[in-house]
Amino acid sequence: MLSTRFIGWLRRYEKWFGIAAVILMVIGLYTGLVTSSADYYQGEVVRIMYVHVPFAQTAMFAYSTLFFCSIWYLWKRDPIVDNAAHAAAGIALFFTAGGLLTGSIWGKPTWNTWWTWDPRLTSFAILFLTLVGYLMLRTFLDDKEKRATFGAILAIIGFIDLPIVHFSVEWWRSLHQPLSVSTRGVSIAADMALPLSLMSIGFTLLFTYMLMVRTQMLYLEYLLEAKQGRLMSEERL
Amino acid sequence: MQFFSVIRWIAWKDLLSEYRNRENISSMFFFAINVILIFSFSFSLDPETIKEIMPGIIWVAFGFTAIIGLGKSFLVEVNNDCMEYFQMLPIPKGAIYLGKFLGNFLFMLSVEIVLFPLFVLFFNLDILDQFLKLLLISTVATIGLSALGTLFSALTVQIRAREVMFPILLLPLSVPIFIGAVEATRGILSGDAFALYRHWIELLVVFDVIFVVVSFWIFEFILDY
Amino acid sequence: MRSVCEIGLKYRILPEGDPLKGLYLRWAVLLSLFGVIGLLGWGRYNREVRAQEPKALLKISSGSDLRVIGRIEGGSLVRGSEGKPFEFTLSGEGEQVSVNFMGEDQDTLRELKTIVVIGSWDGENRHFKAKEIALIPNYDFITWAYLTSLIPLAFFIFRMERKVALLYIMIKEEKAYQRENLS
Repeated sequence: MLSTRFIGWLRRYEKWFGIAAVILMVIGLYTGLVTSSADYYQGEVVRIMYVHVPFAQTAMFAYSTLFFCSIWYLWKRDPIVDNAAHAAAGIALFFTAGGLLTGSIWGKPTWNTWWTWDPRLTSFAILFLTLVGYLMLRTFLDDKEKRATFGAILAIIGFIDLPIVHFSVEWWRSLHQPLSVSTRGVSIAADMALPLSLMSIGFTLLFTYMLMVRTQMLYLEYLLEAKQGRLMSEERL
Repeated sequence: MQFFSVIRWIAWKDLLSEYRNRENISSMFFFAINVILIFSFSFSLDPETIKEIMPGIIWVAFGFTAIIGLGKSFLVEVNNDCMEYFQMLPIPKGAIYLGKFLGNFLFMLSVEIVLFPLFVLFFNLDILDQFLKLLLISTVATIGLSALGTLFSALTVQIRAREVMFPILLLPLSVPIFIGAVEATRGILSGDAFALYRHWIELLVVFDVIFVVVSFWIFEFILDY
Repeated sequence: MRSVCEIGLKYRILPEGDPLKGLYLRWAVLLSLFGVIGLLGWGRYNREVRAQEPKALLKISSGSDLRVIGRIEGGSLVRGSEGKPFEFTLSGEGEQVSVNFMGEDQDTLRELKTIVVIGSWDGENRHFKAKEIALIPNYDFITWAYLTSLIPLAFFIFRMERKVALLYIMIKEEKAYQRENLS
């Protein structure tokens, strides 16, 4: 069985990703919270960047993973790929929510507003809703293959939609009012770049680790369900 | 040739059955009238305010009409056990999608054309000379809405919480359509030069092309189950 | 919808399994590691960021390298020029302190704005000599951002790992496993 081998492989190597992620995040948090200096314009608040940016990046990375797993599933119909896609969707939803939350907390002291219709913010809100829709669609479908296929279709459509949302909001905003609160143009000093890159790489590794764990979890759930189902049907016979 | 005749016949069948039982069209129509009436009660009718809020009202009405109408698009096929026949047709399954899409599009567009005079009537709009431009925007926006709506209707038609899932899937993904349509309509109503809102129409056209093509390709996977 | 895991837990007593013990141990180490960083961050905040109100300042006779937070009183700001210091009154909690600041003109130096001044205090003349001016630290936002993102993250991963460990135990216990091998 390919999937059993694959699960064994995940089980063997997952810890290295976890350990590497923890090491990078510990150093990143230490440099970010303790040793790095405050920003000239934003002051101390800039430290939120070291958690917000990795969250947002990981959310995008997780959604890309979901997209490629979905395409792969439609192509090869391998159930474990569907488990990986489902896992990536759950993780992406978590990181999207975290990115929106930390972004909102960062936005209040810097832009003096919790929310603004910035292209990135809007794309993330749409991403959030799409992921909620994806997970809901999956819970409403009973048939396993149908669930996987329909989910994959929705993930692909949603992924294609994101850049269009981004562009449309960018045009819309630039037409109405100048971007008084731009998310761009934050130049990064050297001692800020270090914790930021450490945290980014750390979160990418952490995402890989989480994906491995969660794929296992979903696969084992199916396995257990199948076994219990068989047990019950045999008892009934 | 068979490909195109399938498209034509499915669209024709949908329009004809809608014409005969008027089930969908009446609920859509009365819903839109409700929206128009409520908005005309709640806003003062001075021309400047109207210009500001009108695009929003128009597209709220059209958007909800789309949800009501498009969500049921595949229900009739499931109720009459037609999905199996669709699966057995010896042609690319995308043709079925295009047929349903074409039927939905024409259906939606006709509802929108009927609704425009009501907007003029209730809100004292002076848009009769701009009617062709409005029609152009409605057309490109409705293509996008029906493309997504037809696909999601096929996705959600077989699940229990159909009425819940359809808008949840459709509305976030159609945000670019609504932004583009509202902005272009605003441009028309405030009498801007065409060049000022042309890029919105281009955006809508890009959206239409992408989603019709992607849905056409991906529809095969939906019908397999 | 109850998950398979919860149903399984209800009907089965878990053995004193190694996977769960290892899991809890690992998480204890991890949490203490991140707790240490949190403490270090807290220490840095106390050392370098925390600022006192003018009221607290009035109680000490003198000192250097003090950080005072307050609002620049309306109408009190006298802009400095070549060689002349800025002068303004900093107020907070009903008390006022006159401050002079030697340095460049900054965006933050405006009337009715809350700032942090860093410098030395002369208690007898009730005069504060600032050598540096900083923005309001807004440390509560930073704390909230980190807490609301990292704690749920840890919880999310912990639940995932725990569930995997439980599932392995349950699958091993499931009697159907042997049957499958036989047939």
